[in-house]
Amino acid sequence: MQKENIVELKDISVAFDNETVLDNLNLQIKDKEFITLLGPSGCGKTTTLRLIAGFLEPNNGDVVFEGKKINGVPAFKRQVNTIFQRYALFPYLNVYENVAFGLRVKKMREAEIKEKVTEMLKLVNLSGFEKRSIDTLSGGQQQRVAIARAIANHPKVLLLDEPLAALDLKLRKDMQKELKKIQQQLGITFIFVTHDQEEALTMSDRVVVMDGGKIQQVGTPQDIYNEPKNAFVADFIGESNIVDGVMLKDYYVEFSGSKFECLDKGFSPNEAVDVVVRPEDVDIVPIEQGMLTGIVTSVSFLGVHYEIIVDIGGFKWMIQTTDEHFVDDKVGLYIEPDAIHIMKKSEYSGLYGDYSSYSEEHDLLSEPLEVEE
Amino acid sequence: MKFLSRFYIGLILFFLYAPVLVMIVFSFNSSSSVWVFEEFSTKWYLGLLSDSTMLTALKHTLIIAVLSALISTVLGTAAAVGIMAIRNKLANRLIMGATNIPMMNADIVTGISLMLLFIFIGKLFGMTESLGFATVLIAHITFNLPYVILSVMPKLKQTDANLHEAALDLGCTPVKAFFKVILPSISTGIMTGMIMAFTLSLDDFVISYFTCGHYQTLPIIIYNMTKKSVTPDTYALSTLIFIVIFVLLIFYNMISSKNEAKTTKRRV
Repeated sequence: MQKENIVELKDISVAFDNETVLDNLNLQIKDKEFITLLGPSGCGKTTTLRLIAGFLEPNNGDVVFEGKKINGVPAFKRQVNTIFQRYALFPYLNVYENVAFGLRVKKMREAEIKEKVTEMLKLVNLSGFEKRSIDTLSGGQQQRVAIARAIANHPKVLLLDEPLAALDLKLRKDMQKELKKIQQQLGITFIFVTHDQEEALTMSDRVVVMDGGKIQQVGTPQDIYNEPKNAFVADFIGESNIVDGVMLKDYYVEFSGSKFECLDKGFSPNEAVDVVVRPEDVDIVPIEQGMLTGIVTSVSFLGVHYEIIVDIGGFKWMIQTTDEHFVDDKVGLYIEPDAIHIMKKSEYSGLYGDYSSYSEEHDLLSEPLEVEE
Repeated sequence: MKFLSRFYIGLILFFLYAPVLVMIVFSFNSSSSVWVFEEFSTKWYLGLLSDSTMLTALKHTLIIAVLSALISTVLGTAAAVGIMAIRNKLANRLIMGATNIPMMNADIVTGISLMLLFIFIGKLFGMTESLGFATVLIAHITFNLPYVILSVMPKLKQTDANLHEAALDLGCTPVKAFFKVILPSISTGIMTGMIMAFTLSLDDFVISYFTCGHYQTLPIIIYNMTKKSVTPDTYALSTLIFIVIFVLLIFYNMISSKNEAKTTKRRV
């Protein structure tokens, strides 16, 4: 299925007060796809969105929309609509008038507006809320109004700036499904910004992982998870044990003092590499059968599985297993060849993937709602 | 303890308002005595109506108050929006400081300096009589401006910055977005600023005194009257001014408290 690029970013650079926010960014977004910009706060994902919306002009590079360069085209002339992080609903207008706002600006006839608004409110399950004031709505309902208001204008591209960040977990999950459904129903391109990797994996056709104003990797959720390009991506998407290794030859790697078979090739002999092993891909076995041995240093029960930290020669591995083990147990680890993923060394090598400071890391996972410039 | 604190407050209020009360009472006195209340009369009030100098001055005061309030509201609102848009913190603080000077400065200094400026410019254009309607109006706008800016600014800060972008996003031009989205959000701030400006302009004496030339306003007429002898028609006039300002202040408080209730409700 060959689709046209609807939005293209070419060699984009943005700096605020001499501080680089986006660094030579290139990205093609296909028509009708659900693409997610994923990254920690300050990675430039919201800035990228604002470039496409027209709230910001790049210092360098071109923003291309349907093959035409749109640098300098003001926001109100672009065929994109935005859903803002805090919804930005007009507080002195009721639900109906909020949704009708864009249509009134276009000077549509009253009868058409009524029809359109009714249709949109039905789409987001808010029929009957027309006369309600914004103040009386819950967060989730406000979110729906924001969606209805944006899509009432038939944008070709809908930009969503962490739209679910302010909702509680359960509601967030429901809205994820609903957004996906709306996207498929309307067949418009969604560009979604989030720092929540799970959200990105669940909803997207493609994920763009960003850090430090650069794109680290673009790919399907499966690609991103199974074949991370560097230690940053491996660590940011899910949990990863990332250890230093040496690629002895094709399909053969050495790390943690042992040699392993793997499925990767194309590295030069004895090239230093980063080795990623996902916690759920490690089996705990009796010491005699283990490819590696270590001592359990912590065990936490998470319901679905246990999260066990094992010290192997000073490096702490995280392992997810449904079997119970106890602190100070000596255990063997068994790793299948297809569980090992080899990455080239990068600037992120050595920064991630060690679980020595695990408890602190847990706190960081519940990032608060943040606003980016 | 409770009694004491109430008594204390009562005392404060008494001393604050006793002079005004005395003035109001004696404005209805039929004689011009300030110590004997002979009988109730509205003759001083009626006298005011037939006093042409007084009526002209009243007209002047109202024209200046209305015009200066309107103009300073428009300018002040625009200025507040502009200042908010300045991202550089230092520049922002400097400009706010400069705006506040007419407010902090002693009236007499503002008055004299404005007078000098007006006369100087008048001389440049070869005018012999440069003080008048235009100068007193400009002077009033000058000292009203910071009050308008200061009452609009907090409302602007409360307004979600994304609202403006949301309007642009939905197809409004920047100007239209301002009128459709920002203006309704800051309208209470604008109203309170305007009432404030009107009140300040209404009872300004010092600055008007130096800048009005022959275009005399009420406070100046009253001052001139008291130079000869203080008559009860002055009380009557002052009473009227007091009542107007009192009513305006009640309005002002009603708007701001209603507004506060609204914002707290939204936060809950």
